[in-house]
Amino acid sequence: MYTSLTDVPPLSQWLAWALFSWLLVVLCLAAAGVLIGWLVATLRGGPVSATRATLRALADAALDLTHISPRRTAALTGLTIKESIRRRVVVVFAVFVLILLFAGWFLDPGSTDPARLYLSVVLTTTSYLMLLLALFLSALSLPADIKNRTLHTVVTKPVRRSEIVLGRILGFAAVGTCLLAVMGVISYAFVVRGLTHTHELTTADLQPVEGAAADRPHALEGRTSQVHRHRHKVTVNSSGVGRVETEQGHWHELSTQGSGDRVTYRLGPPQGMLLARVPIYGKLRFKNSTGQDLEKGISVGDEWTYRSYIEGATLASAIWTFSGIREKDFPEGLPVELTIEVFRTHKGEIEKGVPGSLSVRNPRSGRMVEVRLFPAKKFATDVQFIPRVLETPEGRKGDLFQDMVSDGQVEIWLRCAAAQQYFGAAQADLYLRARDAPFWLNFAKSYLGIWLQMLLVIGFGVMFSTFLSGPIAMLATAGALLGGMYSEFLGELAHHKVIGGGPVESMIRMVGQQNVVSELEPGLRTTAAQMTDKVLEVGLGVVSAILPDFGRFSFPDPEGRLAVATGFDIAPDVLIQCVLHALGFMVPLVVAGYFFLKKRELSQ
Amino acid sequence: MQSEVVVETRSLTKVYRDFWGRQKVRALKALDLEVRRGEIFGLLGPNGSGKTTTIKLLLGLLFPTSGEPLVFGRPATDVRKNERIGYLAEESYLYKFLNAVETLDFYGRLFNLPKPVRRQRTHDLIEQVGLGWAKQRQLKEYSKGMTRRIGLAQALINDPELLLLDEPTAGLDPIGIREMKDMILSLRDEGKTILMCSHRLDDVQDVCDRIAILHQGELKEMGRVDSLLKVREVTEIHATGLSDAAREEIKQVIERHNGELVSLGNPTATLEELFVKIIRESEAHPGRRFRATPEPETAEPETPEHQMLERQMLERQVLERQVLERQMPEHQTPEH
Repeated sequence: MYTSLTDVPPLSQWLAWALFSWLLVVLCLAAAGVLIGWLVATLRGGPVSATRATLRALADAALDLTHISPRRTAALTGLTIKESIRRRVVVVFAVFVLILLFAGWFLDPGSTDPARLYLSVVLTTTSYLMLLLALFLSALSLPADIKNRTLHTVVTKPVRRSEIVLGRILGFAAVGTCLLAVMGVISYAFVVRGLTHTHELTTADLQPVEGAAADRPHALEGRTSQVHRHRHKVTVNSSGVGRVETEQGHWHELSTQGSGDRVTYRLGPPQGMLLARVPIYGKLRFKNSTGQDLEKGISVGDEWTYRSYIEGATLASAIWTFSGIREKDFPEGLPVELTIEVFRTHKGEIEKGVPGSLSVRNPRSGRMVEVRLFPAKKFATDVQFIPRVLETPEGRKGDLFQDMVSDGQVEIWLRCAAAQQYFGAAQADLYLRARDAPFWLNFAKSYLGIWLQMLLVIGFGVMFSTFLSGPIAMLATAGALLGGMYSEFLGELAHHKVIGGGPVESMIRMVGQQNVVSELEPGLRTTAAQMTDKVLEVGLGVVSAILPDFGRFSFPDPEGRLAVATGFDIAPDVLIQCVLHALGFMVPLVVAGYFFLKKRELSQ
Repeated sequence: MQSEVVVETRSLTKVYRDFWGRQKVRALKALDLEVRRGEIFGLLGPNGSGKTTTIKLLLGLLFPTSGEPLVFGRPATDVRKNERIGYLAEESYLYKFLNAVETLDFYGRLFNLPKPVRRQRTHDLIEQVGLGWAKQRQLKEYSKGMTRRIGLAQALINDPELLLLDEPTAGLDPIGIREMKDMILSLRDEGKTILMCSHRLDDVQDVCDRIAILHQGELKEMGRVDSLLKVREVTEIHATGLSDAAREEIKQVIERHNGELVSLGNPTATLEELFVKIIRESEAHPGRRFRATPEPETAEPETPEHQMLERQMLERQVLERQVLERQMPEHQTPEH
């Protein structure tokens, strides 16, 4: 599995390996299932009849799972949809609209990154509501049918159990899809409407530029009116063409009408707020202050070890190596964006940012050209540009692609220029902004992620409901959902990577009011607790490996926030991997549901 | 010529266990049963004797503890046998939020019937069970009789060869019971096989060809109704057009052959027949009231013989009419 979003392998590479490991897991689970079934049957009737029964069950399964009739499944799907509508699922819809209206009251479009705020709220609300809906619908339906025996009449028709399970899953998926689509449209409108604003600019706001140079006669500058708690600086030149500065991540188009004394200025809607940047990431490595190569930089004591640091005014550098850089993709140069961290050990010049430098280096020839000295912006994305034409140290003009890029590879070096200050960098902190994808498409992709999560919950819900009663099935599905969301933590627990021991040891610590690092008293109780934990951890390990990682379907960006909200495009490869991931779970869930339903005596 | 065995149970045993595996109830003990094609087979027994358990085992809703339930020679858990069977449960377990047309269409689709066939059969069956006036209403608004009727319709949607009926007449009024029995008989006449379980003895007697009596899970008696119930030592003769003199002569013939005359008189029609006739008449002619048959206002003094003759004539007319009604289709009672 890839370790970070910046290291996504291409689809072809991933697919073969993923398919193989999926088949392996499924076969292991199937073998385990057959074995358990055989054991239970042996307990009831002896090994011979158990073997016969197992073989017959497998033969039946092969037949039932391959002879799924579309017409019967469609009939069951239609029934499920009708039943869901009767259950008034549109109430969810009303709740959603209510929440949005409420949120619209409180959300502040004048905050620093309003797009991120609005998008996070909308996506989180939609996702939680849809998951709750899927949970309730899928876990309660079959048990209710079994309890009122309406399933008896269905089962006495030539309907395969596999069609019953599949029909239900498809029915709930259809209902959920419709609701999600409507919610998506409303969410989009909500976000756009919430963020839309414009400013006013009058001639009174503009003054002539001080010390106007000879080539800029009669240029005016000023500030727009304050809307959503910010203003934009505006520069208008003599021909009336104006430029609105970026503020809070966006700018506006300026149009001038009239001339002379009757000039009116109009600003358009915000631009650049809703983005889907397509980043090109490079591989990061470091050099320490004496110029030696390192994997990671130094730690400044931050608990979150996502970033490591380089010392200023030394040879310490953070180096990104990019591959596959082609001239035709970047005809004018490389647009670079930075989100580095700054760590000051002394105040320095507190109003200005800590200065840093960006250099370009040819990885083969080793030639290096310093491109820029810039003040580092904290808490904001810094947009830089490496131009095509570079000034070499000798004073000549060089070409970026001819001199710096070799075989599509180029290195960008970041250094801190101020002594005793530090820059923190992670692999995703510096990237080339290749192009922008359409925002609405990115938005739709994130909804696809929610749809996949919903599908998984439906799958688990229906599967559990084939053998558990309604509320218990709901609990089990909720458990699977939570376990999936925290599967990473569960895995760490299972492999002793968490300080403080496993479940039983933690209980002892909690009850004994000890912290996680103190030693427990050696003795029988501690040993017993630790042995039990070892057993439990095996179970936890299995569970964490089996459960789907729900977090990945929200498409987090490298720092863990929603990519759509922070304005990064969701790569098509990632999307396809997620779809296959979900499907890879759905197939065994349907098969498991089939077996549980078939082996169940439906009559009490 | 023995016809084909449609349903068979071999040593069928069902023991209900509780969660810990301990025995709770022995519902069926080594039941051996056979139902042949084209007959109406009744499973009789008091409550808790295992009748419904047998039917559920044959449908695959329960799994046997030992033994084999076979339908059309296949094990009961094989879903493919369901193509040829229909099941009417005691309570119709149908989806209450659908209406009659949607219900039949849904079950029709479960048989993979193509749309025109479904539509035709839905229409025909709804008319046949007499629910045409309520077909757009949701099933949750139906009365018990109506629910039973739509249940029967869904059991027939695939034109099955075998029908399994669990207490088909339970909870119905006399008209409903009569109609259900008529329906069962006509289905048998179409060549279908019917296995029904009931504890209404008179209904079973009217309808079934063969019966099995269960008690506490064990088979106590099995055989043809007529042969089981035949009272062998007594001869029954029904004749019309006999005068008193003829009756006297018959009495003497019996005595001459050393027989014993048990009874000689007019047979009684059943109350059911009278009831059904009166209700049907009432439906055909609403508003007519009962009038006691007027005694003829003649000057002639009534001799006892005369009265008896009159009464006999009237009774004969009633009997004739009943015989005619049973032969004729519904709602065509001949007018007098």
